[in-house]
Amino acid sequence: MSALNNKLWRTIGKTKGQFLAVVAVVAIGIAVYISMTTAYYNLNASKEKFYRDHNFADYYFQVVKAPQEIIKQVETVPGVAKAAGRIQKDVALINDYNKRATARLTGYTLPMAYEINSVQLLSGRFFNDQTAAGQSGQYAHTGNIEILTDPQYAKGNNLKYGNTVTIVADGRAMPLTVVGTATGPEFVYLMKDAGTLLPDPQTFGVFMLAQKDAQQILNMPGEINQVLISFVPGADVNRVVGQVEAILKPYGNLGGYAGKDQLSNAMLNSELSGLKTSSQFMPVIFLGIAAAIQFVILGRMVRAQRTQIGVMKAIGYRSWQIIWHYTGYAVLVAVCGSAVGTLLGLALATVMSQVYALYFNLPTLIGAVNTAVILYGLILSITISTLAGLLACRSVLAINPAESMRSEPPQGGGKTIFEGWAWLWRRLDSAWKMSIRSVYRNKGRFAVTMFGVVFAVGMLVVSLFTIDAVNYMTESQFQQNERYDYLIRFAAPVQKNELFNIDRIKGVQKAEPLLEIPVQLTFNGRNNDDLVTGMNPGTTLKRLFDADGRGLQVPEKGLLISQKTAQKLGVTVGDMVAVETKLALGPVRQSTLKVMGINQQLVGGGCFVSLAQANLLLRDSQLVSGVMLKVEPAYANRLETQLDEMTAVSSILSRQKEIDNFAQTMGATIYSVSVLVFFALLLGFAIIYNASVISFSERQRELASLRVLGFSIRDLSGMLFKETILQSLLGVALGLPLGYWMAKGYIKSASTDLFTLPVIIYPTTYLFAALGGFAFILTAHFLAVKGIKRLQLVEVLKNKD
Amino acid sequence: MRLEQVTKTYHMGEVEVKALRETSLDVFPGEILVILGPSGSGKSTLLNIMGGMDLPTSGEMFFLEENLSRAGDKRLTAYRRNEIGFVFQFYNLIPDLTARENIELAADLVDQPIPVQDVLGAVGLADRADHFPAQMSGGEQQRVSIARAAVKNPRLLLCDEPTGALDYQTGKLILALLVKFNQEQGSTVIIVTHNTPIGEMAHRVVRMRDGAIADIRENTAPLPPERIEW
Repeated sequence: MSALNNKLWRTIGKTKGQFLAVVAVVAIGIAVYISMTTAYYNLNASKEKFYRDHNFADYYFQVVKAPQEIIKQVETVPGVAKAAGRIQKDVALINDYNKRATARLTGYTLPMAYEINSVQLLSGRFFNDQTAAGQSGQYAHTGNIEILTDPQYAKGNNLKYGNTVTIVADGRAMPLTVVGTATGPEFVYLMKDAGTLLPDPQTFGVFMLAQKDAQQILNMPGEINQVLISFVPGADVNRVVGQVEAILKPYGNLGGYAGKDQLSNAMLNSELSGLKTSSQFMPVIFLGIAAAIQFVILGRMVRAQRTQIGVMKAIGYRSWQIIWHYTGYAVLVAVCGSAVGTLLGLALATVMSQVYALYFNLPTLIGAVNTAVILYGLILSITISTLAGLLACRSVLAINPAESMRSEPPQGGGKTIFEGWAWLWRRLDSAWKMSIRSVYRNKGRFAVTMFGVVFAVGMLVVSLFTIDAVNYMTESQFQQNERYDYLIRFAAPVQKNELFNIDRIKGVQKAEPLLEIPVQLTFNGRNNDDLVTGMNPGTTLKRLFDADGRGLQVPEKGLLISQKTAQKLGVTVGDMVAVETKLALGPVRQSTLKVMGINQQLVGGGCFVSLAQANLLLRDSQLVSGVMLKVEPAYANRLETQLDEMTAVSSILSRQKEIDNFAQTMGATIYSVSVLVFFALLLGFAIIYNASVISFSERQRELASLRVLGFSIRDLSGMLFKETILQSLLGVALGLPLGYWMAKGYIKSASTDLFTLPVIIYPTTYLFAALGGFAFILTAHFLAVKGIKRLQLVEVLKNKD
Repeated sequence: MRLEQVTKTYHMGEVEVKALRETSLDVFPGEILVILGPSGSGKSTLLNIMGGMDLPTSGEMFFLEENLSRAGDKRLTAYRRNEIGFVFQFYNLIPDLTARENIELAADLVDQPIPVQDVLGAVGLADRADHFPAQMSGGEQQRVSIARAAVKNPRLLLCDEPTGALDYQTGKLILALLVKFNQEQGSTVIIVTHNTPIGEMAHRVVRMRDGAIADIRENTAPLPPERIEW
């Protein structure tokens, strides 16, 4: 079929603008598919391998303190494959430059080959666990306790082998020697707690040390406060957990959580599932639109080459040979698009892996080039293109060779619906009438083009929306909800009057106390671990809002429950929920509180009660666990230093630092948003360009006739533009609401337990999306019809084809 | 080839047009048959049916004793592919292919085509082989068209107004080529035209009027095309 192949090449050469435009769309679809799928597979494989190699725990139990030997008892529970007891506790940390931070001390016994949640050494060497053996007490103060830190903390604080860090534990400052960095499956994504938006490696680190050292530092000799288990495959999880809880109850069981709820794991999984969703959904859009464009191109080609097809049939070509010839165009688009897309996708995958390496602590980030994925991409694009091609060319079958030699009858004009509205129709000039009729005649193509514009504009909205959402989140989190400059937390609840010390510090304009109590809420047999925050009803430095954005007051009695918890428990306003305190110190207290309202927070959850009510929960009256401060900016630095010196203070949260940290992450967001915006613009461009090229070439004769009649180039250009404008206005108009729905769908699939992005789209975003839409429409249109200036009047009129 | 009582009816909207009424005709191997008639007399319809591009509404068509009047698309395609060469009034070359490639397009379809270079030489276009249709005159294009039909070495060469779009001299050249193929390859050549003098070159002349054969005249001494005047 060499002659037919030549014809195919020449056709592509003649329509290279269109060809390249569709290739670009396919390439993007494949690039997105390959990059996201590759990133997903690699990240997932890295995670799976790491979890497997280091025995990621299936369940975590938190106790106040229990003897080490309890593990033997836990191990006897049927369904428990392995159990480990350890110490894990947050302590205050004083940086070299005197900033307060938090260290999560975690104890290990060496060697840790088969231990649950064992860690992997990344640099330096393991801590020496022999120093403590057989000795007691004294050595702890000599500074030769060795630790490993997570790599981010080491990097964020410039820690080298042999450097010393100082923690405050049990009321004493204590130096520790850094001998290396390590990471474990539970430390892949490091955040202090779910309430923190982002990792902040400067102020939060994981310190890994010998279990005995940890026990010594925390004054818990021979004791543990965390039990980790892994299940036997197929074990009845609920029963096993119940039995273990029963064993731990005497030691102050503070609750537990499954491995899937472990913060690092949950964050990692949410990223993975987001990736997976996008990797399935995005390429389908691009490939689908590419298919639609090809459908239009080939449909038009078959119509224009009707006579040629007739000749081929007359010569003796079979219909399927001709169909394959035209479909070959689509297949070549798919092959070229896949080739370019694969290269682009692999490059993008590398970039994505690098970004992931920044956020996720996976020691072996697998950078495999997944040939299966590349193959799937190729198959996917070829299949979709081939289907589009076959569908578009099926009209070849109907072409009768004898009839095709006669000239095609003029396409049925027919009246458009607009012509029913005489008052409107009479007011339109003939250019508008022609444009409207032409659109009406090519309804299918019009629909495809419009559909494409709708998607491109929708995508612009979604891309830009990400920025809106983050801005809104920053705005609502930092400007509306949290209005304090500093949030100080104490190592343990203190008496209210001790706040005077802080109140007196120069620069403090306002200090409002709070009492945070970890609790378990139970309603109708369902329960949820939660954090109850008590604050005075008139508190101004933290504000609460309901789902509709209306301000909420903390009630004197009863509690405000977070929307997520309310959903989880099935609680509505007026219900009574059981509250059980889970404080590490002191006895467990049980109360029943009436739900007075439901509050919504974008970040974290949490329930709120009055300070008095919180004290009642603990059967106390004057306790506070933290304080929010409003300070004069001029005194901020001095104040921080003074606070740092207070040993009772466990953490100092600076709002400014949170905002800075957030803004930094925005950089990465903007990067990915601009890639998406570029893709959307290219998509829209490709669609309009093709539609305009087709409409232009189909009407060359008509346009040339008009030129002969005396129309100017400008007149004709305006006429073609009117047709494009019809599609575009509709496309943009529908694309904006579609963008909103796409954003909503995306958020629904991407939201985690940890935080919800609001579907907030600012008017400027719609404006920019619409402007972006018009920009690609105008560019594509004028590029496509630039041939109007070179219209050869005589030639066009003479040539039949 | 034999046509028996062939009828063809077209529906143009609500009007029924009888393009061909009960027409019977025998075509003999190796002859030159000219079908004459004014436009609308049914001659092109007849040609299309003989070429397997269209099916009769009623009546039978036999080719080598095979009844093709009810043949499916597959059989007709094979028939066109293996037995028929078409020459059209407006050449109908593929604009994206050069002269040589247009001929190859047809040559690709059969097992033993005449070498493309030979056919190009025979129509006198060896030096224009790599030109595109747009770069050639009408006569040249029609010669390519004849070469494209002849390269398959078909039993039947069907020509629909082959000189209709050409000037006098070029037209005669084209007719001479058709005679040449008839003599050298033994193909049956059927020419449809409204140009009466062309009948002089035929072995037999069929006159058509109003969708039916008016008369068939045998020509004992066909003139070579060079001597025909119109």
